[in-house]
Amino acid sequence: MTETKPVRRLYELAYGRSGDKGNIANVSVIARSSETYAEIKEKITSERVKKHLGSLVQGRVERYDLDNIEALNFVLHDALDGGATRSLRLDGLGKSLAGAVLYMTVDEE
Amino acid sequence: MLRIGSAEGFYGDDVTRALPMIEGGQVDVVCFEALSELTLAILRRDQMRDPKRGYTRDIEVIAERILPLAFARKVPLITNGGGLNPTGAAEVVRKAAERHGLQGLKIAIVTGDDLLARLGDLLAAGEALANMETGAPLTLDGLPIVTANAYLGAKPVVDALAQGADIVITGRVADPCLYLAPLIQGYGWAWDDWDKLASGIVCGHLLECTGQVVGGNSLALLDEIAPADLARLGYPIAEVESDGSFVVTKTPGTPGRVSQATVKEQLLYEMHDPRAYITPDVVANITTLRLEDDGLDRVRVSGATGAPRTETLKVNVARLEGYSRELIFTLGWPEVYRKEEQMRGMLATAWDGLPITRVETQRMGQDSLFGPLVAAPNDPIELVVRVMFTADDQETLKTAVRRAMALGLSGPAGMSVSGQSVGADPRPLLGLWPALVSRAVVEPHVSVTVTEVA
Repeated sequence: MTETKPVRRLYELAYGRSGDKGNIANVSVIARSSETYAEIKEKITSERVKKHLGSLVQGRVERYDLDNIEALNFVLHDALDGGATRSLRLDGLGKSLAGAVLYMTVDEE
Repeated sequence: MLRIGSAEGFYGDDVTRALPMIEGGQVDVVCFEALSELTLAILRRDQMRDPKRGYTRDIEVIAERILPLAFARKVPLITNGGGLNPTGAAEVVRKAAERHGLQGLKIAIVTGDDLLARLGDLLAAGEALANMETGAPLTLDGLPIVTANAYLGAKPVVDALAQGADIVITGRVADPCLYLAPLIQGYGWAWDDWDKLASGIVCGHLLECTGQVVGGNSLALLDEIAPADLARLGYPIAEVESDGSFVVTKTPGTPGRVSQATVKEQLLYEMHDPRAYITPDVVANITTLRLEDDGLDRVRVSGATGAPRTETLKVNVARLEGYSRELIFTLGWPEVYRKEEQMRGMLATAWDGLPITRVETQRMGQDSLFGPLVAAPNDPIELVVRVMFTADDQETLKTAVRRAMALGLSGPAGMSVSGQSVGADPRPLLGLWPALVSRAVVEPHVSVTVTEVA
């Protein structure tokens, strides 16, 4: 029997908050330490976030790095079913989206 | 040092959190930020029912409960809660001030952001008002436009404060610019001192969501804030130096926490490119700033930098696109998925022939927040299904609800519907059209009027 490594979710390494502007959401991923920031920066690419979120995000995903506060900022385009004023989603403001990103596994599965 | 308090972050916030700040002598000015993208459309609906309205009713609370104390302590109040009708809001304030005997109180009104009546002229004058996301030019035909407001900067608020205003009531002044204004007025910062303006904007950005920088909506502080304290957080205060650096703190002796974690969470809230946070007064760069601890509940922020402001202002045009309704159905074990299928089929037939434009169903607790991020369980003990449907008119939605309810004894076994959802009103759906407009066609129309209470 092979030993399986426990799944590490991004939440172990970071916290964050999400918000909306029109149909664009953003998710901050704030490292819990300098070491975890280095790892997050290397592994949590915009491509992986886009793939992870699947149909939640119809548009592109951009990543901005903030070395000064050891955080990443992901901008998710066309991510709120039209935005809070017309979205049919339960969470049209995207308040919970940070959690969706933090649910990612740190290492590729 | 100038001390700015923040006591409103959205229409409906508890503005009375300003009281302990003012009573304790902790602040030189208090700002109230009341307008989200959605708020102006809500205010338009109010105004259509009663032309005297169109402002946020929090202004009534500010006038009745906060203004008398603030006036006595010489603490000016600044708010964009005038919404679509700053003049009407000022009238409410004036009446309250008279009742409280606040003789000599100066009320400033800022107008000129509302472009709704001017859209035709602006288009004729060559302003395309192209959609920032799609590039399409604006046309006036089609669905009705309900609001069109430009985001103004700090200038008119600075002018109002310079004229000795005790309360400044504006429409769509950009959120952080409300907070920047008293700094420019107090320190005499030049309009091209980009780094200082950027610091003031960052300060405003950190304060403008009140509870969110003192422990509210904070994943980082999950273990640090007692549940009961979330209902009584002390709202934030910034102590700003003339060079633009500042300390974020909160009302002393109140629950909550200000830490580097809460500051980081709020710093990136609703932020896109952190090197180019575009505001009417400056393009701020937050990747150059530093955070330092400065004692309990105190974080020092310095080093934000700025680039020259853009030649355009943002304008948000909102169109009424139709209405939506929500029905929430509950299904218990066994066979919840087969019953869900029955329910969908039943509704599709019941609604056949109605001009319903869209139907979406979501399984609450399974995929309603995150979509299909995690596989659904095979045989869940319960299933709550949210059915959302839209139409151009409200009557269609009411008919759809009636038809669905008429099947109450014919539906899937054990299915129930949330009574609250049956009784709700249709919700208007608004399409937002973000665009840019030349400053030259907006700024000459911005006016500041100061009147004194007799």
